[in-house]
Amino acid sequence: MLHFKTFFKHSLPMKSFKILVIALLGVITSCTIDKTDYEAEIGSQVPEYYEFKEAVSLTSGNYKISIEALNGTFYKGYNELHLKVSNTQTNQSVSASEVTVLPILNTSSSCPHEYNVSYDATNKYFAGYAVFTSETAVSNSWKLYISFKADNQKYEINKDISVEKQSNKNLNMTTFTGKDNEQYVIALISPQKPKVAENPLVAGIYKYNKPTIPAGTFPDPSQFSYSEVSGYTLKLDPRMPEPSMGNHSSPNNQDLTQQNDGLYHGVVNYTMTGNWTLNLILMNQNGLILKGTVVPTDFTPGVEGVKSELYIDTLF
Amino acid sequence: MKYIIMLLFLGMSVTAQNSHAHHDSIKNLEEVQVKNATKKKIETEMKMAVSVDEYLSSADNISFIKRGAYAWEPLLNNMSTERSTVTIDGMHIFGACTDKMDPITSYVESNNLSAIDIKSGQEGSLHGSTIAGSIDLKRKSTPFGLAKKWNGAYQSGFEFNNKQFFNLGNVAYSGEKFVAEGSISYRKADDYYDGNDNEVKHSQYKKFNTSLGFAYKTSDLSAVRVDAIFDMAKDVGYPALPMDLSLSRALITSASYKQLFEDGLVKVIDSKIYFNAIEHYMDDTTRPENLVHMDMPGWSTTYGLVSKANLKKNSYSSEIQLNAYDNLSIAEMRMYPQDRSKRTMFAYSWPWVTTRYAGLSMNNSWELSEKSQVNLGGSLGVNYNYSKYVEFNWIFHPGAPQEKTRFLPSLHAGYNLNIDQFNFSVGTGYGHRAPSVSEGYGYYIYNSFDRYDYIGNPDLKNEISYEGNASAGFKNERLSIQGKLNYFYIENYIIGRILSMGSPMNYQSVGVKGYTSLDYATLLNMSMNVSYDILEHLHWNGTLTYARGMDNNGGNLPFIRPLSYLTSLHFMHKNFGIQTSVNGDFEQINYSPEYGEDLTGAYVIWNLSANYSFKINQMKTVVQVGAENLLNEYYSTYADWGNIPRMGRNIFTSLKFNF
Repeated sequence: MLHFKTFFKHSLPMKSFKILVIALLGVITSCTIDKTDYEAEIGSQVPEYYEFKEAVSLTSGNYKISIEALNGTFYKGYNELHLKVSNTQTNQSVSASEVTVLPILNTSSSCPHEYNVSYDATNKYFAGYAVFTSETAVSNSWKLYISFKADNQKYEINKDISVEKQSNKNLNMTTFTGKDNEQYVIALISPQKPKVAENPLVAGIYKYNKPTIPAGTFPDPSQFSYSEVSGYTLKLDPRMPEPSMGNHSSPNNQDLTQQNDGLYHGVVNYTMTGNWTLNLILMNQNGLILKGTVVPTDFTPGVEGVKSELYIDTLF
Repeated sequence: MKYIIMLLFLGMSVTAQNSHAHHDSIKNLEEVQVKNATKKKIETEMKMAVSVDEYLSSADNISFIKRGAYAWEPLLNNMSTERSTVTIDGMHIFGACTDKMDPITSYVESNNLSAIDIKSGQEGSLHGSTIAGSIDLKRKSTPFGLAKKWNGAYQSGFEFNNKQFFNLGNVAYSGEKFVAEGSISYRKADDYYDGNDNEVKHSQYKKFNTSLGFAYKTSDLSAVRVDAIFDMAKDVGYPALPMDLSLSRALITSASYKQLFEDGLVKVIDSKIYFNAIEHYMDDTTRPENLVHMDMPGWSTTYGLVSKANLKKNSYSSEIQLNAYDNLSIAEMRMYPQDRSKRTMFAYSWPWVTTRYAGLSMNNSWELSEKSQVNLGGSLGVNYNYSKYVEFNWIFHPGAPQEKTRFLPSLHAGYNLNIDQFNFSVGTGYGHRAPSVSEGYGYYIYNSFDRYDYIGNPDLKNEISYEGNASAGFKNERLSIQGKLNYFYIENYIIGRILSMGSPMNYQSVGVKGYTSLDYATLLNMSMNVSYDILEHLHWNGTLTYARGMDNNGGNLPFIRPLSYLTSLHFMHKNFGIQTSVNGDFEQINYSPEYGEDLTGAYVIWNLSANYSFKINQMKTVVQVGAENLLNEYYSTYADWGNIPRMGRNIFTSLKFNF
């Protein structure tokens, strides 16, 4: 009591109150759990690349062809490729034509790719893509065969390339044989960095065109031909496989259908960050299921979610 | 004289005491504001050392949803906290827990409050838009220049059932120009035991609360005042929920300036700026049975302004209040996979939702004659919401707007008539409210009562209430009878309905519900209160309440109190007092299975307490001993979350010194 009295009588109460408020503010602002930095949170598992850099260059005579990919690296899965031809003497770009790209794995097979790449006049490069189906390893070596025409002369060159692991699981891919006995590749293209939101989902669906003519001189493009399938439907059912999530799913998803760019567009809703499985069913133009099964929709806590026969895992 | 009457009434009826508080509150308010001289006791008839919740529960239009022994959620007129405004001295504060584990009433303590002002329906619109009414927790405010410069009280007690030990102290200095007051309290309780003597696990709590206030008289008619409350609860169990609370902290601060006027229409202008911040950390590590470990922190920060003017001229008096606040509510959930090396799963349950409100309210009253009075009031508010991470809301409501502005009008009118020993009143009201943060923007908020995950809808319409109320009473020297009735017709009544799309996120959940608007719902509340002085020192009181809530299909609304009663006897002679009460609910016939309710049986509780006052060295001292649920009945009420049993027999003791 005495303490209180002396305290109030002999000190400046307002000042001590201020000090107290500041101290209390200090207590309250020093939260024991920090608020999550949402941007950092959704970016933590996902390397995101927007810049095209040279991944490889090949030289033939006076000409150099430079192939650019995101982050200057070829990754397993879908790769958008930009090709530029230049003169090594003058360092000037050259107007080339009939540019072709053919990736070959172990001299025996290929992967979905655009063989005749088209010229993008606005951006001044040839644009194409390649969906590498495996990473470079001891038993897997990739070689790019390029040809182009400059000054009315055809140049053909090839070079070993390295295909790296795609650490962004949102750009995963899968290969399979459909019920029609055809070989298919489905590769995720976008989004690179999903959000807890409605995400426009873009995938490429490719089919291996079985050769109808005997092989000519290696590498004969007719033996390694792939094309984008058209008019198919990719049914989507995203779920969280983690046992504790009990087969959790999200609402308002849209199946993927083909748009003008040849790619398949749909919508995936991710309700939270973490591991997701895109359960897929691929149907052809006639609605025939080529691959994939309907997954249970029951909420089963503690049990790992059953996946479709056809699925791609994502993570963000 | 007034105090003698009050003292007389103190024992007469819990409800009468409260309706008394209610009726008097406007007058008292003026007295507090103008004369700074009244003081109310925060205690109930049965118990002098009560928690804020226990005190509130003695009002007949308040009921509680209980999730354990701590932080009960007050329901006003059988409506939950979204529909009422709960303020501290007019300051808006919003809980930081998505599961309503922290109603505002949990951030104060009985020894820093002087009164609780409850207003029913649109009469409560002074503090902002509301449907059910308002609950304003009034802080202690020591007047300037008291004859006795130093005042204080110390209260301690022990409750045997849950080994609750509490110490509450407060001290105030009243000078001619300067006032300082402070309070400090600590409560610690273990698990309680139900009527079958089984321990109700996870029902322990620890609460620390302190407050400080300083006032300085800047002139004869003006004063400044600064106030702060700091509250901290730790290790609080919620037996009805799948998780507990590891820590919650609240800092509630304000600075106000009051100017009195001797002449003219305006008598007082009191303006206050305030800031409060709440952090709330749920904890499920105490529940090893949980399949998923989850962090669920929440934060709520509010800045605001409340400015009030009291007007009076002849038979006309008026209160005008300006309310403005800005609140940011954030709640996160992070689920941990069983393999902890894997990626955690994160989402916002409140995606950084800002609520801004500004409104002007007015209450006018005219004394038409000595016998009759007309009240007329209204408010107009603007409510603005902004969801920073609106993409969360878009998952269920694609394209919903990120910002939403709503206009919230309110009107009410009433007429009181006193004829001899009879009094009558009729009133009507109309008002809008905006959806709460959870109703508008909540995301997978797990409700362990009906076991659904709830999704907010930013496009919900305003809830609109049409209300009528009436009361009639009779009072003579020994007998008092008061009957009250109110009826709400609520358009666009917001409630959760099962969504066919979406699947649960929380593993205990069985499905997803989205907040939607029913066409309408109706709610009827009735109460009857009788008190009678059997002998000079022996008083009887009885209360009967009934409520009925229905949706537009005639289905039952959840959490509507069944027919309930309370009867009590109070004997007081000289320094000795003894009181006993019996209360209970009838069977809850009109339950709502759709919202997770089941039939709750009837129960009867008998309470008994005795107190004795004496003086030690001029110090007024009161001791009290009592027992709640004397017969150790095993029961749970209609509003006990998940049917958790209530406390069995509880013997309580307390001691209070006033100096």
